[in-house]
Amino acid sequence: MATPGTFISAVGHTGLIVWLIVGWGFDAEPLQIQTMDVSVISGEEFEQMRARTTPDPGAADPEAPVPPEVDETPPPPPAEEEPTETAPPPEPVEQPVEETPPPPPPEPLVTEADDQPPPEPSAPADPPPTPDIAVSEEATPPQAPTVASQITAPPPPDANVDDIVREEVVPDDSAEPDVVEEEQDATAPEETTTAIVIEDLAPRTSVRPSTRPSRPVPQPEPEPEQEESDVAEEAPAPSEPETSEDDVAAALEAALSATDAPAVAAGPPMTGAERDSFRISVNRCWNVDPGSVAARVTVEVGFSLDREGKVQGNDVRLISSDGDQSATNTAFEAARRAILRCQSGGYELPADKYDQWKDVVITFDPSGMRLR
Amino acid sequence: MMKRLLTLLVALLLAGPVLAQSGPLRLTITDGVIEPITFAVPSFEAESPAAQQAASDISRLVVQDLAGTGLFREVPSTAFISQVSSFAQPVAFPDWRAINAQALIVGAVTVSGEQLVVKFRLYDVFSGQELGQGLQFAGTVAGWRRMGHKVADAVYSRITGEGGYFDSRVVFVSESGPKDNRQKRLAIMDFDGANVQFLTDSSSIVLAPRFSPNGDRVLYTSFESGFPRINVLNVANVGRQQLQTAAGEMAFSPRFSRDGRQVIYSLSNGGNTDIYRTDLASGQHLRLTQTPSIETAPSLSPDGSQIVFESDRSGTQQLYVMSANGGEARRISFGDGRYGSPVWSPRGDLVAFTKQNAGRFHIGVMRVDGSEERLLTSSFLDEGPSWSPNGRVIMFTRETQGAGGTSSLYSVDISGRNLKAVPLQGGASDPSWGPLQP
Repeated sequence: MATPGTFISAVGHTGLIVWLIVGWGFDAEPLQIQTMDVSVISGEEFEQMRARTTPDPGAADPEAPVPPEVDETPPPPPAEEEPTETAPPPEPVEQPVEETPPPPPPEPLVTEADDQPPPEPSAPADPPPTPDIAVSEEATPPQAPTVASQITAPPPPDANVDDIVREEVVPDDSAEPDVVEEEQDATAPEETTTAIVIEDLAPRTSVRPSTRPSRPVPQPEPEPEQEESDVAEEAPAPSEPETSEDDVAAALEAALSATDAPAVAAGPPMTGAERDSFRISVNRCWNVDPGSVAARVTVEVGFSLDREGKVQGNDVRLISSDGDQSATNTAFEAARRAILRCQSGGYELPADKYDQWKDVVITFDPSGMRLR
Repeated sequence: MMKRLLTLLVALLLAGPVLAQSGPLRLTITDGVIEPITFAVPSFEAESPAAQQAASDISRLVVQDLAGTGLFREVPSTAFISQVSSFAQPVAFPDWRAINAQALIVGAVTVSGEQLVVKFRLYDVFSGQELGQGLQFAGTVAGWRRMGHKVADAVYSRITGEGGYFDSRVVFVSESGPKDNRQKRLAIMDFDGANVQFLTDSSSIVLAPRFSPNGDRVLYTSFESGFPRINVLNVANVGRQQLQTAAGEMAFSPRFSRDGRQVIYSLSNGGNTDIYRTDLASGQHLRLTQTPSIETAPSLSPDGSQIVFESDRSGTQQLYVMSANGGEARRISFGDGRYGSPVWSPRGDLVAFTKQNAGRFHIGVMRVDGSEERLLTSSFLDEGPSWSPNGRVIMFTRETQGAGGTSSLYSVDISGRNLKAVPLQGGASDPSWGPLQP
């Protein structure tokens, strides 16, 4: 039979050992020691204290709820989100703008190509591998966010959430006129469920790798008039609400007058190789007579090409010359012969840059071919 | 403030494309090709039964003239897709483009008695346009060659922008016999060597004939008296007139002035040779050079204001230019070798000359200031250049080496191309190219 001293000693040593192990023995860093007042109690008091703090074995475990009978409870309708498993895979055109190549032409041929049946029918059923957390089969309709011991059906759409269920009271014309019912809105308890809903942050479907940008499909060029109107429509317009259309027009006019810019051809410029190819095509037909007076004359000629690269109407016009009339005529005719003779079925020029070469001015400078 | 910012923004937006490319596509071409212009000449239409032969002959002569320049190349008739059976028939340009004929010459000939009429049209095939208006020439049946030359001149002029030279004649020294006993007499021919006619007999030596500006007279040097004298020969009646000089003086190397009323020449007296000018009407003389050296071979500029000549005043034979009235002369030739027989171009921009260097003779040209000298030929002996009326071709004498060597006339384009011999029977030297005939 332990004496009170022994008991006190045992308690004291036990407490000391526990304190050494838990609070002090494994930390190199000095800990902030929390001190508390300890009072000495008797064994009976200690047992009584233990008896008050020991839980009742017959009580229900709050952490192990009884599974709800979900078969009897219809699943709540989806609140806002669409079922993800039925969402179609993102189309290429829905890729972010920065991930797509240059903006597609006005004619959505790419979209049309996507609408066509895919070359491999199994492609839609064989999506690219996605992370496990994104398996769409495990995705369930979102449930009510409130957890309760019993499932509460979702409130009627026109009912307010309240602890008390009330029927909607509306004035009834058929009721007795002397009976006055106070109007009140319908109320219903908040929708609850017994399942703990973990917010699913994973995407419902994996992002399909961005498709390879499709090659630009050559399309018939719009009519020049249409392009001009398009250019006019695409003219930069200020978005400030306080700027009136008159200000925009005035600014445009001022800018045009300030830059004194000629008509600007739309589209990408001709590359050096394309210009050289055109130049070579002409100069191989430019026949220069080094001994003639015309070989001392530089002429500048202009002409317009159709979309096939042929001179429109065989019309080549003289723009300028630095020689006398006779020599100029001869030099101009030699230049015209060169242009017309070598066009054959049309100069080979990039069709998508027609705006860049529909009007051409060529300077024929024979200074390097003169007799020296 | 907002408007200014907006203006700046719009200007920047507009400036971007402008910097990329604005206006028409602009190219500069500096390298062409040097090749003959292709042309087609369907046989001229004979509008009368008697014109069949003339139509055929004139057509071939036009082809021969043009192709002979080296600047044109005929598309043979065997390549023709379509034929031209009528002068008024519309031209099927695609057919001529298909055979790459750049120019098309369509003509017709009418013969009525001794009168011959030829008309033609010239088309630029690739532009589908007629170059100039149709022309018509009238002459005699016997003069059909001149008609053909006239057509060729017109075509040449319209395409090249320069005057022609086909309807012109050349006076020259016809040579015959062995080298040590060579017979020389004046002769005249068409530029292509046809229609040779002799102006003098071979009783005396003649040298260096020179046409008058209008082609009616010929100056030449004759040794008829034992001393060199200058004669003036009327081409039409072969009448002769001798330029008066003092006894013991030797006159040679004459040329007409641009107006044909004066003669500039070299006069040797007492071992000194200088340049003189004599008025044919008054007989007045004017000495233009007064140096102890040899000055000879004077040639007037087209405007008559300057004279280019050769002189050995520097110790070697070189070229000099002075005023037509004499005075200070400036040397223009500075290359190696000796320079002689300068001739001022009808265009006025070049001087042709004979150059001897390293045992070879050359015909060359240089600018009137002596720059840009170019040698066009090289042989054992090339000498005596003469300009075509349009200043485009030079005719000269080429002599072959050895005791059996002969002299021939050659022509060359001023580009150095198209060197060819003038077809002649027998030897020839000292050509002088006359003007275009009226």
